[in-house]
Amino acid sequence: MPISPETVLIVVIALPFVGSCLAALFPANAWNTEAYLAGVVALLALVLVIATYPRVVDGGLVQYKAAWVAELGLEFNLRMDGFAWMLAALITGIGFLVVLYARYYMSPADPVPRFFSFLLAFMGAMLGIVLSGNLIQLVFFWEMTSLFSFLLIGYWHQTAQARDGARMALIITSVGGLCLFAGILILGQIVGSYDLDRVLAASATIRSHTLYVPTLVLILLGALTKSAQFPFHFWLPHAMAAPTPVSAYLHSATMVKAGVFLLVRLWPALGGTNEWLWLVASAGLVTFILGAFLAVFQQDLKGLLAYSTISHLGLITLLIGLDTPLGQVAAVFHIMNHATFKASLFMAAGIIDHETGTRDIRRLSGLWRFMPITATLAMVAAAAMAGVPLLNGFLSKEMFFAETIEIHDNSLVDQALPYIVTVASMLTVAYSLRFIHDVFFGPPPQALPRAPHEPPFLMRFPAEVLVLACLVVGIVPAFTIGPLLETALRAVLGPAIPAYSLRLWHGFTPELLMSVVAIFGGVTVYLMLRSYLLVNEGPPLLRRIKGQRIFERVLVTISWRIARRLEGLLGTRRLQSQLQLLVGSALLVGVVPLWMRGVRSEGLAPAAFDFVFGMVWAVGIACALAAAYQAKFHRFAALILLGGAGLMTCVSFVWLSAPDLALTQLVVETVTTVLLLLGLRWLPKRIQDFARPARTASIIRWYRVRDFAIALAAGSGLSALAYVVMTHPQPDSIGRFFVENAYPNGGGTNIVNVILVDFRAFDTFGEITVLGIVAITVYALLRRFRPASESIPVPEQQRAQDSYDETHPDRLKGDTIKSTMATPVLMMTMLFPVIGSAAVFLLLRGHDLPGGGFVAGVTMATAFILQYMAHGTVWVETRLHVLPVRWMGIGLLLAVSVGAAAWLFDKPFLSSSFSYIDIPLIGTVPLATALVFDLGVFALVVGATVLMLIAIAHQSVRSHRVPNGGGPAVSRKTEVR
Amino acid sequence: MTRLAEHLMIAPVVLPSFAGAVMLALGGEARRNVNAALNLVTTFTLVAISIALLRAAESAPTGVAGVYRLGDWPTPFAIVLVADRLAAIMLLLTSILAAAAVVFSLARWHRVGVLFHPLFQFLLMGINGAFLTGDLFNLFVFFEVLLAASYGLALHGSGSARVIAGLHYIVVNLAASLFFLIGVSLIYGVAGTLNMADLAARMPAIRTEDRALLEAGAGILGIAFLVKAGMWPLCFWLPGTYAAAPPPVASMFAILTKVGAYIVLRLWLLLFGAEAGASAQFGGEWLLVGGMATVAFGTIGSLASQDMARLAAFSVLVSSGTVLAAIAIGQVGVTGGALFYLISSTLGLGAFFLLIELVERGREPGADVLAVTREIYGEEDELEDSHETGIAIPATMGILGLAFIGCALVVSGLPPLSGFMAKFALLTSALNPPTGPTPTAAWVLLPLLILSGLAALIAMTRAGIRAFWASPDRTVPRVRVIEIVPVAVLLLLCAIQTIQAGPIMRFMQATAQSLHDPSDYIRGVLGSAVDRPDSRRGQT
Amino acid sequence: MEIILALGIGVLAGSGVWLILRPRTFQVIIGLSLLSYAVNLFIIAMGRLRIGVAPILAERAAGDPAHFADPLPQALVLTAIVISFATTALLLVVLLAARGLAGTDHVDGREPE
Repeated sequence: MPISPETVLIVVIALPFVGSCLAALFPANAWNTEAYLAGVVALLALVLVIATYPRVVDGGLVQYKAAWVAELGLEFNLRMDGFAWMLAALITGIGFLVVLYARYYMSPADPVPRFFSFLLAFMGAMLGIVLSGNLIQLVFFWEMTSLFSFLLIGYWHQTAQARDGARMALIITSVGGLCLFAGILILGQIVGSYDLDRVLAASATIRSHTLYVPTLVLILLGALTKSAQFPFHFWLPHAMAAPTPVSAYLHSATMVKAGVFLLVRLWPALGGTNEWLWLVASAGLVTFILGAFLAVFQQDLKGLLAYSTISHLGLITLLIGLDTPLGQVAAVFHIMNHATFKASLFMAAGIIDHETGTRDIRRLSGLWRFMPITATLAMVAAAAMAGVPLLNGFLSKEMFFAETIEIHDNSLVDQALPYIVTVASMLTVAYSLRFIHDVFFGPPPQALPRAPHEPPFLMRFPAEVLVLACLVVGIVPAFTIGPLLETALRAVLGPAIPAYSLRLWHGFTPELLMSVVAIFGGVTVYLMLRSYLLVNEGPPLLRRIKGQRIFERVLVTISWRIARRLEGLLGTRRLQSQLQLLVGSALLVGVVPLWMRGVRSEGLAPAAFDFVFGMVWAVGIACALAAAYQAKFHRFAALILLGGAGLMTCVSFVWLSAPDLALTQLVVETVTTVLLLLGLRWLPKRIQDFARPARTASIIRWYRVRDFAIALAAGSGLSALAYVVMTHPQPDSIGRFFVENAYPNGGGTNIVNVILVDFRAFDTFGEITVLGIVAITVYALLRRFRPASESIPVPEQQRAQDSYDETHPDRLKGDTIKSTMATPVLMMTMLFPVIGSAAVFLLLRGHDLPGGGFVAGVTMATAFILQYMAHGTVWVETRLHVLPVRWMGIGLLLAVSVGAAAWLFDKPFLSSSFSYIDIPLIGTVPLATALVFDLGVFALVVGATVLMLIAIAHQSVRSHRVPNGGGPAVSRKTEVR
Repeated sequence: MTRLAEHLMIAPVVLPSFAGAVMLALGGEARRNVNAALNLVTTFTLVAISIALLRAAESAPTGVAGVYRLGDWPTPFAIVLVADRLAAIMLLLTSILAAAAVVFSLARWHRVGVLFHPLFQFLLMGINGAFLTGDLFNLFVFFEVLLAASYGLALHGSGSARVIAGLHYIVVNLAASLFFLIGVSLIYGVAGTLNMADLAARMPAIRTEDRALLEAGAGILGIAFLVKAGMWPLCFWLPGTYAAAPPPVASMFAILTKVGAYIVLRLWLLLFGAEAGASAQFGGEWLLVGGMATVAFGTIGSLASQDMARLAAFSVLVSSGTVLAAIAIGQVGVTGGALFYLISSTLGLGAFFLLIELVERGREPGADVLAVTREIYGEEDELEDSHETGIAIPATMGILGLAFIGCALVVSGLPPLSGFMAKFALLTSALNPPTGPTPTAAWVLLPLLILSGLAALIAMTRAGIRAFWASPDRTVPRVRVIEIVPVAVLLLLCAIQTIQAGPIMRFMQATAQSLHDPSDYIRGVLGSAVDRPDSRRGQT
Repeated sequence: MEIILALGIGVLAGSGVWLILRPRTFQVIIGLSLLSYAVNLFIIAMGRLRIGVAPILAERAAGDPAHFADPLPQALVLTAIVISFATTALLLVVLLAARGLAGTDHVDGREPE
């Protein structure tokens, strides 16, 4: 059945990814299966690509669009024109050959699933790049190729080179990729679309736009890093740590071509300006020369090929940069040719490495005898690389030379260009010659790790196919590559393709002369340098410069050293500074609006001055200040003073007509104090140290001054706010509603309590939950409590008492304390029922008069605590079983279920209803569901408070061991008193 | 909407508190397995519920699935819960993250201390309440609930590092809570209401003499939120706390910062939108600058951090700062992008926090430090040995490695996972406003996000190579399926978010739209009072 | 009269802030307690200063807002008191644990060098 070309596109792009997922599933030793799978996938993709050819000839276009994120102008857009077709064919074709090659290259011990899985995924991503009709989608796949290249270079990650090479490649290409991303975003902003066709159509707008140059630079950064152009070229040689099939595929034939592909793609939109000519062309020229120069001096076969790849990519970039249609023609042509001969050369190098065990040119020689076929293949390919006639390299070289002769901007460089490139081409010839001569000729090799011999046929086969291509294209271009090239160029240049000829012989032209000069010059260069090369490592001038080291240094400095320093500068780990910042910024945002708008008190009639209240606050203020002053060394005093301040707050609540608050504040005050007292037992004394060096003393003085300023500002700020608001008239607040409805609809006369248990019961619900959470947190934390070693021994007072008892034989240990505490104990015991009933009373009246669940709960809790204080933990717990956690749980359940009960009446959560009943002695009690809710509150509060207090109290009956492993300084039965 | 659906709205708050209460009533730690089962069931139920709410919100014409007046009192006097699109999406995110964390914790972490499960449920109650409530003071209460629970969970398992970090965390947040109270009460004293919608409605009519006070209140309130959101320079408590917290807790904490960001987003657009009269856009520049500073600081910190946990914590800062800055740009499209980003980064970081612990298992502690020094002083290249063979990574390491790559991609915003889409969505909508020229802020945001992504990549690569490649002789960690599956699921969601970017983005845009034009929200809340003037049932 | 209350709030807050900026954990906890007093009074103050009009209805009927202090701030303060009580307790235990584990009562868990 016939499938539409659009579907073919989808299949082509999906196949490799599916294959990759499958490949990942096989066991590590299934390398045959893996190879077959990958091979079939690649071949299938190739066939499909070829099948679409008829649709793309003479300007045809196969396109598949699907909605992705329409809002953002991003659609899934596969678009295959002639140029994309050519690249796709290249990717799948060479992909297939590489898989075949890898099948024999990888050793059975290698974990091949990873290898083939990544390789196929890369193939998919690469196809994604060339087939993208939407630039964002292109970036999407672009970054993916970087990722998979990283994973493939790092395939042998046990060696440092593989790791570092992989990381370098990833970081450099991703930097480029991100720049490209930014560039494309700006481009999209200029054009108003990310669609490739729209962008190509808008070339005039782009070139004239103010943001043209930054856009161009960003996009170029993307392309040049990917294609390893100067000054980003140095990652490519280090990427050679990858297995040779990877080098052949990613780092010569396909991925590094992505950059130049993009340049050719966007040339119609971005090209045609001086910026383009200078940026692209100069980058290309420098890379071309530098790469060729460095290649000559490499001693590692793959290194030589890597630099020659860089050089050839430079050549292509230069052609694109020259900014003429003919330049593009030559560039596209050379992309193809380079892919064929360089891939085959890498394969040859791999074979040599595989069969001899080394890639060091100095150790290799005379291999011709041992592997004639491989040698022939390598020679033909190398000749193509050198641009020898009858080979494809020659044709594109000719075009290149012809193009360089043309006048572009007629600058000095432009005029010198032909001579420069001729010289550079000599170097090309030189290293090609070196590759052949040093490796295959000369005396038979000494002391190779392995005895060299021909590889199996199928390992040679891929190289043979490619070399054949070189020959055929080189001899009869017009019949082989001609039409394909035509199609590709139609896609790039449109119908107006400049006249170019693929004939071998154009007569005695300058470019022919240049070729001849280059070849003979190259031979001489090689002969001159030979003696030097046999001994020396690296080029004469640039040997010292190591791209990798520089990169590592820069990376570490920026991404580590500077970052550390900055973090220290912009951040802090000290709590005090954090709190200063917090208070400071709160002050700022509080003050600025007042400053901007200006605010004044509106002199509302102030309440009459009350002498008592004045006195109260005189005391309160004194307490606060004293507490602030004492807190460091005299904790106990500070605690008392804090209580004083609290008490004054409490009094002013009464005065401010808030009896409920006063009550609550009072009980909370009590419990908090007890809690802190219990805590102090485990907080060793601070000994005041006066012996401080003067310098630190001055620093500390400065700290104090600063903090005092902050405190002063904060205090006055808050009081100013309070004052201003109090003197402003009150707005129409929602408070009135509660006053009006408290009784009619809430059934209580104590409005505040009605609010708590009905109007805003949800707040109370949350509030008690907080209490519960904190209680269990305290409990959980104290189970693992390791007190300070100083505070483990029995406290001194107790020791005194006990020692007194011990000295007197007639007394038992603990008698003293018993006798002294006798009366209080009695009283406390008696108080239990009293307090208990008081709590119940508070709970019940809460709805109408000050009181309520919380106050009642805390009161109840104090009743328990008093028992603990009176008789000690052990005594109490042997007699009455308090299960605080359960109390809490039940209380919370009660609250929740009362709330949820409303659902039965199809009312929202916590809807209440109520009525009144008469209880003798107590009087009329509002029996509201709210009361049940309050009961829940009560239970939880009791549980939580008791749990917290007991948890701390228990510390004294637990045996603690000194942290630093010292013997268990046990303090048994030290009841908390 | 049916009655059931109405009550469904409050389930995200009531259900967890009920579960927690039951656990306590059973005696807390007495039956840990029962608690675990309860926790699991509840959390997954919450996922279902939040999906239902999301659908309801999506189908509702105004985008408000419902307004729940607690105690059946009329608004604005009652506390209301409002389930609009934003709340719904946040609820869903929370519950998904929670489900992952719970499953993960069952492998071992719920045993390192007591009462993990109740605390976890209470945390959920707090977070959900904060997302749902439409009342300022009630918001405070739920903030306290979630904070209290987070204190407990941050200290879960005790230990020196946790306690010290916890001390900072607690003190800073207690102080922040006090500012919260000051802000709320100041606003009440000036505007006379606590209901957010009512407040928004009253904004234009605020007396000019009071406006300064109101703004001061809002500002102080904002400080409280920004502390939670971790905005520079109020964020220094965050890295230590998050790095020290137990992994499942840390991954839940990934959403806590977003709670702060959520409130800022909600209130700022609600109160200081175009309708706010003289106070419109109050504090916008500060938010913008602060957000960008946070991104910068987070980026620097992630580069400077030696261990993965701190790296992750700083990435939290980056994501939070990005969201704040994007909000501050104040355009519908960007807000939509910010929401998309928020989802993606939260999922990714949640997964990362879980993963870290698995990777770190079976590595000697000093490894990271050593590796860093090694990197600084550089090591001589090993001798060329070209025909070595690879080491078969044990399946575990393979899976962990894959997951790590996933997290790295999301965090650093590279394709194919949702991080890239999120960054793209943010940037493209910032660069191409529907009307007018590109705002300057966008031109700052572009390089900032690109650079932060790059930094994240560098840091992640460094950490990853250290953990997976540089130590071939490391012992392979023993990892249980229930530990790796949550991570995988979270990352899978990121992948889905990429593929389904279209519909998701559409939803986010709609959400942003209704946030920028809150009239629907306000009408939705206050209107329901008009429906039933006095809704009280007669007394029984 | 307002001035006194405002002054009181200011002093409480000031001493509180001073204390939370101190290096010792115990100072911090005392400071936070003082601050919470200040904040509670502040909240009450937001309901304006009303004397002798406690929000407790004399007779069982709808009340007239004019005759009672605004009850809402009081309810808020009640919630606030409870919460600050809880958190104080928690902080206390945490600082005890920190003292035990770190061997110092410095807020950063180690003495500044």
